[in-house]
Amino acid sequence: MIILENIQMALQSLKTNPLRSVLTLTGIAVGIGAVLYVVILGEITQQRINERLESLGSNVLLIRPGYSRIRGVRTAARVINLKLDDAKEIKTASDVITFAVPRYTGQGVAEFKDQNWSTRITGTTPEYETVNNDHPIEGRFFSEDELNSKARVCLLGATVHEELFGNLSPIGESILINSKRFTVIGLLGSKGESWHNPDNQVFIPLTTAQERLYGVDYLTSILAQMRSADDYDESLFDIETILRRNHRLRSDEVNDFRVRRQDLYLSTVRETNLEIANFIIIIALVSLIVGGIGVANVMLVTVTERTREIGIRRAIGAKKFHILTQFLVEAVILGIIGGILGIVGCLGFNYFFTGNGLSIPLNWVGYSFIICSGIGSIAGLYPAIQAANKNVIDALRYE
Amino acid sequence: MLIEMNNVFKTYVLGEVKVPALHAISLNIEDNEYVAIMGPSGSGKSTLMNIMGCLDTPTTGTYYIGRKNVGSLNDNQLSDIRNTKIGFVFQTFNLLPRSTALHNVELPLIYSGMPSFKRKQLAMDVLERVGLKDRMMHKSNELSGGERQRVAIARALANKPSLILADEPTGNLDSKTGEEIIDIMQRLYEQGNTIILVTHEEYIAKQTNRIIRLRDGIIESDA
Repeated sequence: MIILENIQMALQSLKTNPLRSVLTLTGIAVGIGAVLYVVILGEITQQRINERLESLGSNVLLIRPGYSRIRGVRTAARVINLKLDDAKEIKTASDVITFAVPRYTGQGVAEFKDQNWSTRITGTTPEYETVNNDHPIEGRFFSEDELNSKARVCLLGATVHEELFGNLSPIGESILINSKRFTVIGLLGSKGESWHNPDNQVFIPLTTAQERLYGVDYLTSILAQMRSADDYDESLFDIETILRRNHRLRSDEVNDFRVRRQDLYLSTVRETNLEIANFIIIIALVSLIVGGIGVANVMLVTVTERTREIGIRRAIGAKKFHILTQFLVEAVILGIIGGILGIVGCLGFNYFFTGNGLSIPLNWVGYSFIICSGIGSIAGLYPAIQAANKNVIDALRYE
Repeated sequence: MLIEMNNVFKTYVLGEVKVPALHAISLNIEDNEYVAIMGPSGSGKSTLMNIMGCLDTPTTGTYYIGRKNVGSLNDNQLSDIRNTKIGFVFQTFNLLPRSTALHNVELPLIYSGMPSFKRKQLAMDVLERVGLKDRMMHKSNELSGGERQRVAIARALANKPSLILADEPTGNLDSKTGEEIIDIMQRLYEQGNTIILVTHEEYIAKQTNRIIRLRDGIIESDA
C-alpha cells in the first residue's frame, strides 16, 4: 500500500534533518501536553467535588439568616434571628425532616505550645457527625452530656491539626482557643481542596461557643436533613411555616432567612470549576494551534527544498495526488509523533512532579491523537497542494 | 508507429514576450529505432525532448505516442504515460540522493502500484542487467557518476517502457565512463528497445542509426 511507503518516506525525511524535526515536534508536543494536563487536572478536581457531593448526600438543606434574594427587595439584614429553638422545632414538628443541626461559626485563634493558627470555630451538636457523614479519623465527636455541660472539648480539622501538631496525635492534648483552654477529643479527616477550605475548622459544642466564647444566643446556620431528596417541597414549606411563626413575620414581610440545598452549592462550585477548566483548555488549544503553524511553516520550507525531488518523481510517473499524499502524510506523521511526545511528557510530568498518580483518561488520549492528526492534516494541506501543483520542467531545473 | 508528430509548434510566453521554441516540427519514429537529436544550444532540443517525454504539451500541432493523442490527455493520463511508456535518462542523473539504488529503481514501480515483493525482485533484476547488483543497497550519493547513470538507466527500464529518452546522458561523465554508458545504450537497442538520444557530440550521434538535426527550432535534416 502506498500509504505505508509514504510513512516510511516521511520518517526518512524526519531523520534527514533531526534538529528541525525536533524543534517542530516540540511545538506540537507542548501544545498537546498542555491541553492534556489541564484536562487531567480538571478531571481530578471534578472527581474530588463529586466525592464530596456523595459524602454529603443530596438531601441536606442549609438554612441561614438574612434577606431572601428570591422574593423582592432586600431589607436590613437581620442576622440575629435564628435561634436554637428554631432548630429544635424544625426537627420535631416536621414529618419530612429527620435532623436539624444548629451551627454557630465564628473566627478564632487556636494555640498549641508556640504555634498559633487563625481558623474558623464552629459550635454545633453531636448530630452534625451523622448529618454530614463526617466521622473523626481519630478520637470521637462530643456527646450530648458535653453539649449540656458546655464542655471545653474540641475536634480539629485536618489543616488546623497539621499547623499546630504536624504529624503528632492531638488527642488528649490541651490547646487554647481564643485564649481559653480546650481539650482535643477528636481529629477529622481531610476533605481535599475546595474554595471554602473545610479542613480549616475547629468543632466545639454549640453551647460552649455561644456562651463561653462568643456571648451570643443566635445561630449562623441550621443544617436540615430531609427524609429523602423528594421531600424538598414539603420540607421547604415546613421550614418556612415554623420560622415565619417563630420570627413573628407578618404576611406582607419577606422571609428573614434563606434556604438552599447543600448539593446545589457544590454544584455551583462544580460548574465554576468546569468553566475555569474550559477557559484554560482554550488557552492551551491556542498553544496547540501555534504548534500547528510551526508544522505548516516547516512543511513549506521542506517543499521548497525538495522542488527538484518533486520534479524527478513527477517525471517518472508520480501523479499530483501522489505528491500531495506524500507531503500530507509527512505533516500528519509530524503531528502524531509530536502528540505521542506530548502525551508521554504530560503523563510523566503528572506522575513525577505533581504526585497525582497515574490516572490516564483514555478517551482524552484518543482525542489527543485525533487532534494531532487533524492539526497535521490542516497544517500540511496547503504546502502539499503547493508541492503537487509545481511545474515539472521548472522543478527539474531547480537548484 | 510509435511517435508521430505533425506540425508541432511550441511557444513560451514570458510576460509580454513570446518566445518561439519549435516551429512546424513533423517527424515519425518507429519501434526499435536508435535516434539521435542534435543541434546547438537554443536550437530547441530540450523543448522537443520535453514534448516527446510528455513533460510538456505542444502549443499547436499534434503528437501521438503509441496511437494516443497527447494533446487530449489530462495530467493523470500524462503521468501514466511517463510512468509506463517512457523511461528518462537525464544528464544530471536526477536520482534521489539519500535513497538506495534499489529504492530509486523501485520508484516508478511504486507509482504504478506494484506490490512490494514483486517490485523488489524486478528492481534487483534490472540492476543486475546494468551490472550493479552488488552496489544496490548503497545510497545513490555514495555512488560514482557512472554508477549513478547506470542506476538511472535501470530506473528508466523498470516499467518496461516503449521508449527511452536520454538527454545528454554522458554530459557529466568522463570520456571512458561515457563510453560505457553508450555501450549500454547500444545493447539496449539491440535488445529491441527504442532509444532517442539528445547529444551534441558527433561521435555519439554516429553510433546511432538516424540523426535529426535541429537549428533555431526547425528540423534541418533527418537521416
